[in-house]
Amino acid sequence: MTTMHAHGISAGLPSGFEGRIFKRSGNGIEVTNAVAQFATFALPDEVGDFGGGAVQLMGNDDIFAVLFEYGAESVGTRLFAHPGIPRKLSGADFQPQVLRRGITGQAGTQWFFTESGRPFTFYAVLGSHARRSVLVPRVNQLLAGLSVDRVPAPAGTGAPWN
Amino acid sequence: MVALSVVLGVVVLLLAVLVAGLLRSHADILKALHDLGAGVGDPAGDAAHDHGADGRAAGPVSVPLTMGPALAADRDSTSAPAVVGVTPSGDALAVAPATSGGLTLLAFLTTGCATCAGFWEAFRQPDHLGLPAATRLVVVTKGPEREIPGEVASLAVPGLRVVMSSDAWTDYEVPGSPFFVLIDGGTGRRIGEGVANRMSQVAELVRRAEVDARAFALDTRPGRDVGLDGPQRESANDAELLAAGVLPGDPSLYPKSLEDLYGPPDARLPSATRHVHRAG
Repeated sequence: MTTMHAHGISAGLPSGFEGRIFKRSGNGIEVTNAVAQFATFALPDEVGDFGGGAVQLMGNDDIFAVLFEYGAESVGTRLFAHPGIPRKLSGADFQPQVLRRGITGQAGTQWFFTESGRPFTFYAVLGSHARRSVLVPRVNQLLAGLSVDRVPAPAGTGAPWN
Repeated sequence: MVALSVVLGVVVLLLAVLVAGLLRSHADILKALHDLGAGVGDPAGDAAHDHGADGRAAGPVSVPLTMGPALAADRDSTSAPAVVGVTPSGDALAVAPATSGGLTLLAFLTTGCATCAGFWEAFRQPDHLGLPAATRLVVVTKGPEREIPGEVASLAVPGLRVVMSSDAWTDYEVPGSPFFVLIDGGTGRRIGEGVANRMSQVAELVRRAEVDARAFALDTRPGRDVGLDGPQRESANDAELLAAGVLPGDPSLYPKSLEDLYGPPDARLPSATRHVHRAG
């Protein structure tokens, strides 16, 4: 298992997965956060945060997954109330209607949670809903290797003399 | 006076025991070295003296010698492990060429070598590289501990996939830069590797490797030209047989022995010779 790490996210990649952990360059106004994308097929250079441009390339036995970080203002909201990364998904967690891009035959799942004080969503797509019994264990392997570092306290919240 | 003599005698005796012990230890070391095949003089000469304690000839003993890092048990010369590292901008990137489906060309470059400069320049025009369509190009430099990310970033044109990973250089046993490795994701194997001075040489390497892979049926990806299959293949075979005068029920379609296939043993060679002459 190979391990990649950037922007406070570590991923131990199961065999056959490739991935990237990045932050999009900001425009000076909006704040960008970490995005981690994983796939069992060659990720194109230009992929939308949630797989646009990639999920169309998936074969039946392929998996695409993304760990997407939201802004700190989301911490404590109801949507992100679930504590910790989901570690064990089942076939029933994947549904065709959860897909962001409705491609026939595929199935998806999405979870919102807070890990190490950082708000995330985990979104995964299976190349074939019918093959979920084979593919979901591989998604769980990927989830088992994910970890998130706690973000250091921002400047200005330290000792009063700072 | 007597006491002094006694003390002196005891000291001499102790020294004698100490020297005897050292000589014994030295002899044990020499014997062990001799058993391992090391010794003074020509090891090939005077074999009569080269006997172990059990009387067998004590020939040279091979001592395992390992150079460089140990290879994983599942490694071989065609394996294609994942390339995991960081980009010059600090993002993490992992490329799994063995499972990507298509061709992946790994270009191991440095920022310092003069020959590499030509490739960095060539990669600024990705449409003019001459590589087969859908070939994924990945530049691999050494990690940030060996290369300056800013220098790598200044050489890499936007859109060029660059991974900084010293481990990848070890995994692929890269002898120096520039070095190129071509991987067929359909089979998960390295199908070509080598050095080149110009991009045109790399393109030729890729083209040859791709042709070889196709010829040996290494490429089984869907969508590729793998010939006819199913009913179309059967129809094509029927057409070939009919054109050769082999009709349904022909005895040659139902061989019962090797002779039915190849003819009598003494007739095989002339038949082959005629074939060669006809073909020539």
